[in-house]
Amino acid sequence: MGLAHVRALTLALLLASVASAHEIGTTQVTARFNRDHTYEIDVVTLRHSKDFAQAAEIRFGGVRVNPEVRVLPNNTIRFRGDIPKNAGPFTWRWKLTYASYALTIGSRQEWLDADATSTPFPLSADLLPPSRMDVVRQYLKLGFTHIVPGGLDHILFVLGIFLLSTKLRPVLTQVTAFTIAHSITLGLTIYGLVSVSPRIVEPMIALSIAYVAIENMTTSHLKPWRVAIVFAFGLLHGMGFAGVLKELGLPRSEFLTALVTFNVGVELGQLAVIGGAFVLVAWWARAKPWYRPRFVVPASAAIAATGIFWTVQRLM
Amino acid sequence: MKRIAAVVIAVAAQTAVAHAHDFWIEPSTFRPAVGQLVSASLRVGQEFEGDPIPRSAQLIDSFTVREGTKEKEVVGFENRDPAGYVRLEQPGLAVIGYRSKANPLQLDAAKFEEFLKNEGLERISVIRAQRHETAKPDRERFYRFAKSVLNTGANGGARFDQPFGYRFEIIPETNPCTSTPLRVRLLFEGKPLAGALVTAMHRDDASARIRIRSDKSGRVTLNLPKNGVWMIKSVQMVPAPAGTDADWESMWASLTFER
Repeated sequence: MGLAHVRALTLALLLASVASAHEIGTTQVTARFNRDHTYEIDVVTLRHSKDFAQAAEIRFGGVRVNPEVRVLPNNTIRFRGDIPKNAGPFTWRWKLTYASYALTIGSRQEWLDADATSTPFPLSADLLPPSRMDVVRQYLKLGFTHIVPGGLDHILFVLGIFLLSTKLRPVLTQVTAFTIAHSITLGLTIYGLVSVSPRIVEPMIALSIAYVAIENMTTSHLKPWRVAIVFAFGLLHGMGFAGVLKELGLPRSEFLTALVTFNVGVELGQLAVIGGAFVLVAWWARAKPWYRPRFVVPASAAIAATGIFWTVQRLM
Repeated sequence: MKRIAAVVIAVAAQTAVAHAHDFWIEPSTFRPAVGQLVSASLRVGQEFEGDPIPRSAQLIDSFTVREGTKEKEVVGFENRDPAGYVRLEQPGLAVIGYRSKANPLQLDAAKFEEFLKNEGLERISVIRAQRHETAKPDRERFYRFAKSVLNTGANGGARFDQPFGYRFEIIPETNPCTSTPLRVRLLFEGKPLAGALVTAMHRDDASARIRIRSDKSGRVTLNLPKNGVWMIKSVQMVPAPAGTDADWESMWASLTFER
């Protein structure tokens, strides 16, 4: 039997079920399951009630949930809430009608008679809230790819930090300062405690790249102010990461997990840049007399020029 | 095929939970002026609280309004609530009448027995018991016979005691808008129906409710305790004719008016 036949038969059976029921009323119910793992059920009804929440029975796998209720214009009552983790099939029951009405879920429509319970509707896996492990995997990857290969500006800044010295300690000190700083502002910005416009943050990030590169051309020693400046720049980069993370969105169910793993992913991305640069160049070239004049200085000049170009570009 | 089976099961399960409910006409006003447009909403529900039922050609067998000796179609828009509109042309009383086509309904046995008890149809329970069918689910066809009395306040107009000729009908024998007590008569297939439960309920006061059986002549005399909007209703049930897909036929009669 072809799909079209099955559809036709299904429709015929649905119509038959209408005929074997009550008069059709004016109530209409539409259920939506969203990508952000929320459900939304709109009930169009001419009936009035002081307690619409009591009239609606929304269940996942038999477990009743407590939706937030809003009365919208056009006689619409909206029930909204988070789809529970590991949610079982969705069922709907509306106790505020004596007539038949249609429940629409996507392309599926079912006729319900008065206060009957709907046929269980299994949710596809992508609609269910992700498990913690899924979130960890996903946001680690998002954080990492935001640096490599996604964030050339952050790569250049980290290279700028790296090119200062061939010794491990100055690099580690700077990376630590940078990491602590961007973690602070990423968290504060995501939680809405700090808010700086990208029109300020983005040019400043570009300027920070130029600054570290220019300083690399003048000295190979880690000055105390440089650590402070890298820390300050880290604060700016953190706000930039927050902007990106806001665009990606954070799962409501695993907010903190996502925030922390994204930050760890960013960190791993930076370490990958430093590790890559060390393996490719510094490991064999750092002792050579030409390393600083022929490599560090021209590379820093190129990075500085790019940083200045971006600064101007982002200001415009 | 699995999916089809699932749908069949779903349909069966769903129809099994259906309840039977009252059906009545609720006009936008019971006291219109001559020439005023009055909407007539159809309602299904309980305790005078109901859902609007949009106009449906599939549902309507006849939907008319009587003024004097004239009977006119109640016009309306398909699939819209209110189901109909009337405009009275002369002063006095007018009666809107609605008769539905047959509608199939299924109830599980327990629900059906409960319904029979609530609606005063114990004699059907007795027949089922005699046939050893008490545990058998109900397969019935139901019909609606609803009437509503409009009153412009002047004398004359429709003969409110004139039957529409419905198979089951509540006939007011005294003016429902003014007379105390109010006498109504039940006619089933043109003959008085004795021993039927008649319920009168007030729209805004659930405690103002009368349940009474019709006498040998099919009559009840009602002392309605207060003014306001009232519904009088009764349900009649008979075995369905052989050869149909139903075991029983139920007939729901109602009369709404304001006094």
